Amino acid sequence: MEKKTEQYDVVIIGGGAAGLTSAIYCGRARLKTLVIEKALVGGLATYTNEIENYPGFPEGSTGLGLMELFHKQAKKFGVKFKLTDVRGVKLEGDVKTVETFRTNYQCKAVVIASGGKPRLTGAPNEDKFLYDKGISFCATCDAAANTDKTVIVIGSGDAAIEEGMFLTKFARKVIVSVMHEEGKMDCNEIAKGEALANPKMEFIWNTTVAEFRGDDEHLRSVALKDTRSGEIIDVPVDTCFMFIGYVPNTEIFKGIIDMTRQGYVITNEKMETNIPGVFAAGDVREKFLKQVATAVGDGAIAGYAVEKYIAESEVFENQIMDQSMPGIVYIWNAVVPESRELLKEVEAFEEKYKGQVKVNKADVYKSNGIAVRLGVDAVPAVVAIKDGQAAGVLTEGITVESMEKLLGL
Amino acid sequence: MAEFTVDCLGEACPVPLMKVQKQMEKMAVGDVLIAQIDHSCAMKNIPEWARNNGHNVEIEEVDDGEWEIVIEKTK
Repeated sequence: MEKKTEQYDVVIIGGGAAGLTSAIYCGRARLKTLVIEKALVGGLATYTNEIENYPGFPEGSTGLGLMELFHKQAKKFGVKFKLTDVRGVKLEGDVKTVETFRTNYQCKAVVIASGGKPRLTGAPNEDKFLYDKGISFCATCDAAANTDKTVIVIGSGDAAIEEGMFLTKFARKVIVSVMHEEGKMDCNEIAKGEALANPKMEFIWNTTVAEFRGDDEHLRSVALKDTRSGEIIDVPVDTCFMFIGYVPNTEIFKGIIDMTRQGYVITNEKMETNIPGVFAAGDVREKFLKQVATAVGDGAIAGYAVEKYIAESEVFENQIMDQSMPGIVYIWNAVVPESRELLKEVEAFEEKYKGQVKVNKADVYKSNGIAVRLGVDAVPAVVAIKDGQAAGVLTEGITVESMEKLLGL
Repeated sequence: MAEFTVDCLGEACPVPLMKVQKQMEKMAVGDVLIAQIDHSCAMKNIPEWARNNGHNVEIEEVDDGEWEIVIEKTK
């Protein structure tokens, strides 16, 4: 199959809360925006039945319902959606490529909002029973199939307990394996109280998964290990629901983007990664709190940063690196007196060579993007541009004469 | 390369996934299956299962809340 190539201003990888918010900001800034989502638009939030802490919805909302609103809003601003997975990326340079199995999308900026995927226990035979074979990560998906059956839930966080309670509406019995001592759970107190009072829920404390057991067809039981005695408890179940957290979806960025040891993308407060024009937002980032509300904040910053980055790229190419005449770029900081003082010299030079030399000024107080692109970290500095190339830097003794010398006038 | 369609409209999980799995077994490498679904959870487990088995997956939103999952059998 021949691969197509399509052009966008920005490609956002991941259609969860962070990606959709970025898309809303980019779309509204009139950027040609594409969101690539591998499954259902809305991301992890769609796995939650209740979202009670997202501001603006005092009655609460379903995760799916809330995300449908995000989606609708992004579409309103002309954002395009492609529902497929990303196979690879080329992120260096001005033109970046995001590759799916049918199409290469070329763009100026990329937002990584790929979120996470369910963490596995790593216990023996786990891989044999994933998804349709008995280990599920989605109660909404598989609860109905477990009507009047016995299921086990691994974990005691909010997701585990809330999904576990949802399962009690279908299953005959919901067994919960908790790694902590009796009465200690990772979920919020309200959920904990409700769960402990639920007659269909049974707790096995101080346990972790030792092994998954079954035949070629399906999971038959989960062997739990008592963390104190080491004793193995075999628990026959129809389905195992696993909610022990998430790991970031960053395999395709390994070795390209700077990450923590756990694989979370490292960004600064502008959501910039180590590669210019590549931003990250949401759960995929190394950050303190992972919630829809914080993903939205990240997404807004990333979307705004993309718009600034692209605007700056255009200025850089069309004005700074103008090939029609030689030029100089004065890199200065408007709040530093020395920089302001030298501005007079630069302006005198500009006046003297009007129509012969193009003079640009880049105020690093507003943004250091231009200085970074020119590879200059000293301020103030003058960079000479000849034939669309940087041709020399002056960081000391900036005068009309020294600028003439720099340009060979 | 033949193309097949399974109609899962109005069906809840896990029925769409099971229908897809059954149909995929009958198909040859290179064949394409189009699953029509309108149950959002099938958007999670069908692509997940298909990718886990190494197949190519792409989804089209044909209408509000209605999708076609395109799966190319690769092995």
